[in-house]
Amino acid sequence: MSDRPLAKAGLNSERVLWPERGPGVFEREVQEIEDALLLTTVEKAVAWAQTNAMWPDTFGLACCAIEMMSIVSSRYDIARFGMERFSSSPRQADLLIVSGRVTHKMAPPLRQVYDQMLEPKWVIAMGACASSGGMFNNYTILQGVDKIVPVDIHVPGCPPRPEALMEGIVRLHEKIRGGVPPAYAIRGVAE
Amino acid sequence: MVETRQSLDEVTLVVDPARLVEASAALRDDHGFNFLADIAGADYLGWAEQEVVGYIGTAAGRDLNDPGSRGLARIPDPKPKRFSVSYHLLRVADDPARVRVQVWLDDGESIASLIDVWPAADWFEREVWDMFGIGFEGHGNLVRILMPEDWEGFPLRKDYPLGGEPVRFSDED
Amino acid sequence: MSVLPSTRVYEGTRIPRPVPTILEVDPDKHRLEDILRVNFGPNHPSTHGVLRLVVDLDGETVAGIRAVIGYLHTGFEKNMEHKSWWKSVTYAPRMDYVAFHANELLYVLAIEKLLGLEVPRRAVWARMALAELNRIHSHLVWLGTSALELGAISLFWYCFDDRDQILDLFEMAGGTRMHTRYVQVGGIAEDLPPGFTEEARTFCETMPKSVDDYEAILDRNAIWLERTKGVGLLSADDALALAQSGPMLRASGVDWDLRRNMPYLAYDEVEFDVPVYPNGDVYDRYRVHMDEMRESVRILSQCLDKLDETDGEPWIADDRKVVLPPRHELHTSMESLIHHFKIVTEGFTVPEGEVYVAIESPRGEAGCYLVSDGGARPWRVKFRAPSFAALQATATIVQELLIADLIAAAGSLDPVMGDADR
Repeated sequence: MSDRPLAKAGLNSERVLWPERGPGVFEREVQEIEDALLLTTVEKAVAWAQTNAMWPDTFGLACCAIEMMSIVSSRYDIARFGMERFSSSPRQADLLIVSGRVTHKMAPPLRQVYDQMLEPKWVIAMGACASSGGMFNNYTILQGVDKIVPVDIHVPGCPPRPEALMEGIVRLHEKIRGGVPPAYAIRGVAE
Repeated sequence: MVETRQSLDEVTLVVDPARLVEASAALRDDHGFNFLADIAGADYLGWAEQEVVGYIGTAAGRDLNDPGSRGLARIPDPKPKRFSVSYHLLRVADDPARVRVQVWLDDGESIASLIDVWPAADWFEREVWDMFGIGFEGHGNLVRILMPEDWEGFPLRKDYPLGGEPVRFSDED
Repeated sequence: MSVLPSTRVYEGTRIPRPVPTILEVDPDKHRLEDILRVNFGPNHPSTHGVLRLVVDLDGETVAGIRAVIGYLHTGFEKNMEHKSWWKSVTYAPRMDYVAFHANELLYVLAIEKLLGLEVPRRAVWARMALAELNRIHSHLVWLGTSALELGAISLFWYCFDDRDQILDLFEMAGGTRMHTRYVQVGGIAEDLPPGFTEEARTFCETMPKSVDDYEAILDRNAIWLERTKGVGLLSADDALALAQSGPMLRASGVDWDLRRNMPYLAYDEVEFDVPVYPNGDVYDRYRVHMDEMRESVRILSQCLDKLDETDGEPWIADDRKVVLPPRHELHTSMESLIHHFKIVTEGFTVPEGEVYVAIESPRGEAGCYLVSDGGARPWRVKFRAPSFAALQATATIVQELLIADLIAAAGSLDPVMGDADR
């Protein structure tokens, strides 16, 4: 198989399926553009598109939800990242920000919402309670949401400042642009 | 009424469980306590049994599941029975007043539901049932409210462990 | 100071029987084959948190409803039994996470009542100022999210912008925006920083204008009026029977406010009015919230005057058995060192007894029933959550409403699920 970037991205075109024939007009022109720019590959372009308008899902549970709502507000504007459209339907969401403590009663709905999201999907565990159970080490709180969903970024704080959550989101963007696959591809859930 | 106690400017009326509905209706109608603020259960298992004074916990650290490791300066008086259910009432009127009605129960006993006297008792009694396992007769919908419906055990009892995960390095010498 | 209801919203009682919190479908009014049971699941777009409503719909009309809670039950009460008195104060604000100072204040007042500790005047005024700021904060969050649900989306940003100013004040005083853990047994943790009263006064000047702006957006808006007038009716008798308090009760015509009728802190020394409206619908609850914001600003400016007067006075009680001594004394005084050691390792002990303290949180009567066995940890802490009681009224207020009105009515109850589930 050819090792040109388009092939790696899954494009089955003439020059991939019929290597002896040589590239067609379209591929030759794309090749020229790629050679001229020397910067962008398709994966990088895809990653750029994914991060620039990542729609979060409204999964506000407890105190962290109030700080999550305040990043939508005008002072810590999250619309500059293209993320102000919190979608209530998990089918249209890319990012699940689990903000707040997850109880055993809430864990099945959380997993159901996560399953309904379409790949690629990322999870940010916002706050101490979502990351590890927080100050509540007891019979009813799930000790870390990464026991049931694979988590990409943990944001510490109780509750984390809006700027801290922004930092978590920006680091997630950097991870994606750096080519790190989403968490479900590289790790499972914790024991 | 069985007994009246007063301390810290609060009046507590200890009532025989069999006459609870009568007493509540009398308080509501004759004395004007039209607002049921709260129904609180309490478990007194292990009350005044430990007499460790000083640093709480053991040499190896604090055992979260041990309810008795507390420092007491003097042993408090024993309680009549294991569970108490306190009804906090409020009189919303020009002469406001608060009163607490307390009943004492043992494990397995149940009391009459006050849902006909104050409809607000509904969820409060469900919560006491969920957390302590104290039954309320005549309630009509006594299912778990805070825990998942199929949960076993009554979490706020003193013999129910705190649960959670053991934290590393906290029990080792 | 009359507490008698002024009008009758509807005749008789609308509380469902036999179970007051479950509205069963009435077979006389709805054909049972038409009923569709819909689940407004725990994760739904309105930002009340994890409330689940199981609704029986006949077309668009709500024929039956049942509220299921418990999705945020955190076991606060059990956790607090295992922590010392000082450490358990950190648990309290995370229950009603929108009105966090109210919860902290409530718990600390209960401990101080059992201890019999007297709090210095400056701390009382500081606590009141923060409590009123918190009330404005809670009402702004309520207004922003309720308006968002009903479609007045722009109000969300306006309210949260004002809210950020309040959180700046909290950060100035307590170090962090939310859950400041600033209220301490004996007073407040640290003195208010210099410049706090000036910043707060600037806020007091801009806030009433903001409230006027919000009213200008909503009060003459025909859509808002249509969606909130006559929706979610609750009469005064039903409200009292269902243990409603706070704005729910005052919007139903009952003139009852714990700050005025059973004052705590120094509320009997400040002047404020209590808004009461007779109609018992969502519009009146909205008006109560708006007027309360203005009254809170009034109380706040009076507290700030008193704070300026008491500048330089102690902010925490002197009782060394309960309160940490100031650090500079540890170098010179042996008793202070011993007190410091005892308080930090074992924690202070609270005399045996039981107490019930209630305050007027932004949602209504928040109460704390505290039982102590004389030791270093609480024996039993029970919080009376106003949201828990408010949600019991769901079945009563949504009778024969349409789905859209259901959202408005459920929002007007102002439930915070952390509070309801504890």
